[in-house]
Amino acid sequence: MSDQRTSDAAFEQYVLPELEVMLRVARSLTRNAADAEDLVQDTLVRAYRAIDRFDGQYPRAWLLTIMRNTHINSARRRRPELLRDPDNAPEQAAEERTDDVIEQQIDGRILETLDGLDEPFRTIIELVDIDGLSYAEAADVLDVPVGTVMSRLHRARRRIRDQLVEAGFGGGRT
Amino acid sequence: MATGWFARLWQPATDRPMTCHQVGAVLQRYLDGEIDAVTATRIAAHLDVCRDCGMEAETYERIKSTLATRRTELPADAVARLRDFATSLSTGSA
Repeated sequence: MSDQRTSDAAFEQYVLPELEVMLRVARSLTRNAADAEDLVQDTLVRAYRAIDRFDGQYPRAWLLTIMRNTHINSARRRRPELLRDPDNAPEQAAEERTDDVIEQQIDGRILETLDGLDEPFRTIIELVDIDGLSYAEAADVLDVPVGTVMSRLHRARRRIRDQLVEAGFGGGRT
Repeated sequence: MATGWFARLWQPATDRPMTCHQVGAVLQRYLDGEIDAVTATRIAAHLDVCRDCGMEAETYERIKSTLATRRTELPADAVARLRDFATSLSTGSA
């Protein structure tokens, strides 16, 4: 029974501190609060069963890898979600372009462009810029090389940046 | 003692000022804090004196800060449910 106790202690030590990160990433992967919670629960069950084989190195990367595989398996069993949140419609700005209004317009354009990005690009922005994952952690979630994370991120941000410049905001190299 | 362009040829690569092209290639990694400290210092030195690269970096920093506003508080009840679930696994009551 001491083995069981050791496993339980390891689970609590390595897994519990990562719960919130897991939920954030799950929400980015599923885009649905209920599915995200289910995904974290399934990941927890798998992590619990595998905790004996975990070496204690990089628990977040280990858990995100389990989550990715769990997500892929559950996505195979489910039809893809086609609904997209229609919220965050940009507000109509007042005639007068005060600084605040301009700031709001910039924010609106950035978020609007994010929502319109194609799938791999939107997801990489969500994982790195919103969920706060490192390149290596995002690579684990997506099962791609770190170089792919960087190039997708670069292209996605470039798209947003170009939209800003086109709208007369922002600057830099042309 | 060599001077001028000839002297610069003998400078170690890490002592030479970075070009706009070099900075552009690693700017995203710099903004994400995914670059070594020496290169970060060299990039910062370039951004201080190059108007175009400075504006480019500012634009991307603005994009990053706006995107970060999408990071919302997680629903406390969902976190609590998952914590209970995880705890129940390790106490054998799941």
